[in-house]
Amino acid sequence: MEPSLPFYILATLSVFSALMVVLSRKPVHSVLYLIFCFFTIGCHYLLLNAQFLFAVHIIVYTGAIMVLFLFSIMFINMNKESEPHKNTLIKIAAGVLAGLLFLVLLEATKGAETLGPPSPNESYSTVANLGKVLYGQYLLPFEIISIMLLSAMVGAVMLGKKSVD
Amino acid sequence: MNALIVIACLGIAAMMSEVLGFKKLLLPLVAIGLISVVGLFVMDWNTSIRYYHDMLYFDNYAIAFSAMVTVLTALWLIMSKEYFISTTSKAEHAALILFCLTGAIVMISYSDLSMLFIGIEILSISLYVLAASNKHDLRSNEAGLKYFLMGAFATGFLLFGITLIYGASGSFNLQEIANYLSKNSEHLPMFVYAGVLLMLVGLLFKVSAAPFHFWAPDVYEGSPTLVTAFMSTIVKTAAFAAFYRLFATCFSDLSGWWGETLAIVAALTMLVGNVLAVMQQNFKRMLAYSSIAHAGYMLMAIVAMNHISAGAIFLYTSAYSIASLGAFACLHALGANDNEKIINLRGFIAKQPFNAGLLCLAMLSLAGIPPLAGFFAKYYLFYGVIQSGYLWLVLVAVLSSLIGVYYYFRVIYTMFLPREEEDGVLPKISGGHKILLTIVAILSLLMGIFPGILQGIL
Repeated sequence: MEPSLPFYILATLSVFSALMVVLSRKPVHSVLYLIFCFFTIGCHYLLLNAQFLFAVHIIVYTGAIMVLFLFSIMFINMNKESEPHKNTLIKIAAGVLAGLLFLVLLEATKGAETLGPPSPNESYSTVANLGKVLYGQYLLPFEIISIMLLSAMVGAVMLGKKSVD
Repeated sequence: MNALIVIACLGIAAMMSEVLGFKKLLLPLVAIGLISVVGLFVMDWNTSIRYYHDMLYFDNYAIAFSAMVTVLTALWLIMSKEYFISTTSKAEHAALILFCLTGAIVMISYSDLSMLFIGIEILSISLYVLAASNKHDLRSNEAGLKYFLMGAFATGFLLFGITLIYGASGSFNLQEIANYLSKNSEHLPMFVYAGVLLMLVGLLFKVSAAPFHFWAPDVYEGSPTLVTAFMSTIVKTAAFAAFYRLFATCFSDLSGWWGETLAIVAALTMLVGNVLAVMQQNFKRMLAYSSIAHAGYMLMAIVAMNHISAGAIFLYTSAYSIASLGAFACLHALGANDNEKIINLRGFIAKQPFNAGLLCLAMLSLAGIPPLAGFFAKYYLFYGVIQSGYLWLVLVAVLSSLIGVYYYFRVIYTMFLPREEEDGVLPKISGGHKILLTIVAILSLLMGIFPGILQGIL
């Protein structure tokens, strides 16, 4: 399947906004670009006919997490002085390493176009089908993930509450 | 599977104990629960059942490792009684430890990559909190935050790897991925290799292997000693069980491709861990580096990947974990008031000869001196690696073991030195710590004299 025109528009927008997250000087701008980036990625799900994923992505990432992010960034005092000075050598080394990883991944995904995206006509991602898979084949992971959420919650309460002494 | 449900319910019960008012019964309840869980595992032996659409697969390998981590947790509980009494949030601590154990068993017995991810996350999230559980200690806070940030970063790599492999094979199931890889071994897309590489990076981080080990000393040193003991024994055993299972069932067909890389990582881990451990003056930090070095030895079993490696890695993780628990019990009992220096052990043998002798046994087992468990574990491991043709790796391992002997013996040597004025009073080891030390010494001797009991079952 050939990628359509909307795909190219969305892809350009998401790459642009992802770059702006890193390049913009003000942290608040970065967060706003990140929200935009998540939104465009959500639209990619829509192109792949995954409406449920689209809705969840918008609600969870763009809605909940990014608002939290924005709040916490506004709370933190981000002055120039408070930022620790990084060693230039470490900066260069990190840049080279990240670039190499990027090259490896770029090269690796080259063969992926032969596989092609799943056909958008299938109704595989409707909420009904998703529910069947989640409560059928993936019942155990679905249930056991509650332990993970529980431990995160217990941990948050434990670290957050005032000790008696 | 029943055992897993029992542990998860035990964790929830522990969490509710404060509200429902049976906090006093908590420790006996957990102890009885863990013992019955071991019993459930023994009953499942040789059944090899796949549960819930092949999400978990309790074959003998999974049962042996799950029973081992449960026994280790029970042993760990013997010395950590005061952790559940003197702290304010003991119900939460107990619950988090049990959730950790749940995660460990999930990641040992997974048969589906989604379960691997969930298991690792249950384990890690509980550990991040436990690492930071000493709220008034700045180092503990740093340990928790560092562990959390680095762990989340590594999880990203792991997830990306899982995604790429799913993209190629269309399945999360270990068996189906293995079938796909062997069927299309001629023309695999490049991103399968990238996926294996990224999963390798994520897992190497979790077991603190050499280029990804920088978090480990700080986290191990900063966390409360009991949590460090938990991390470097139970968590390490579970992580290696998961690591070995993934590479043995899933990626064994690609072993020509990742074998050399992993061999170099193993050699590097052993050398870095042992050489840096020599320079440490702090007992806890030394044990942290020694735990990195032992991770290198365990990686060798994954490199070797032949019919005896499963038994070898099982014997090695148990021998290492048991001896390590002994060392940490001593450190915890003697290291009151944050006195974790090695020289704090001066005069130990003159004041408490029996306890010092037991610590000696644990140290000798870690160093790999016959007739203790550590020696035979190393012997089986090296034997398997030679059979797979990695002679140079065994040479590096022997060399780094010799370096290891130096710093383990320095601890023993320090115990013989006379105690100085400025050292203060050496705390008396008694109660749970003494019981644990005795059990550790007996088990190390038993496993050394009859290594077949553990090695033969896998």
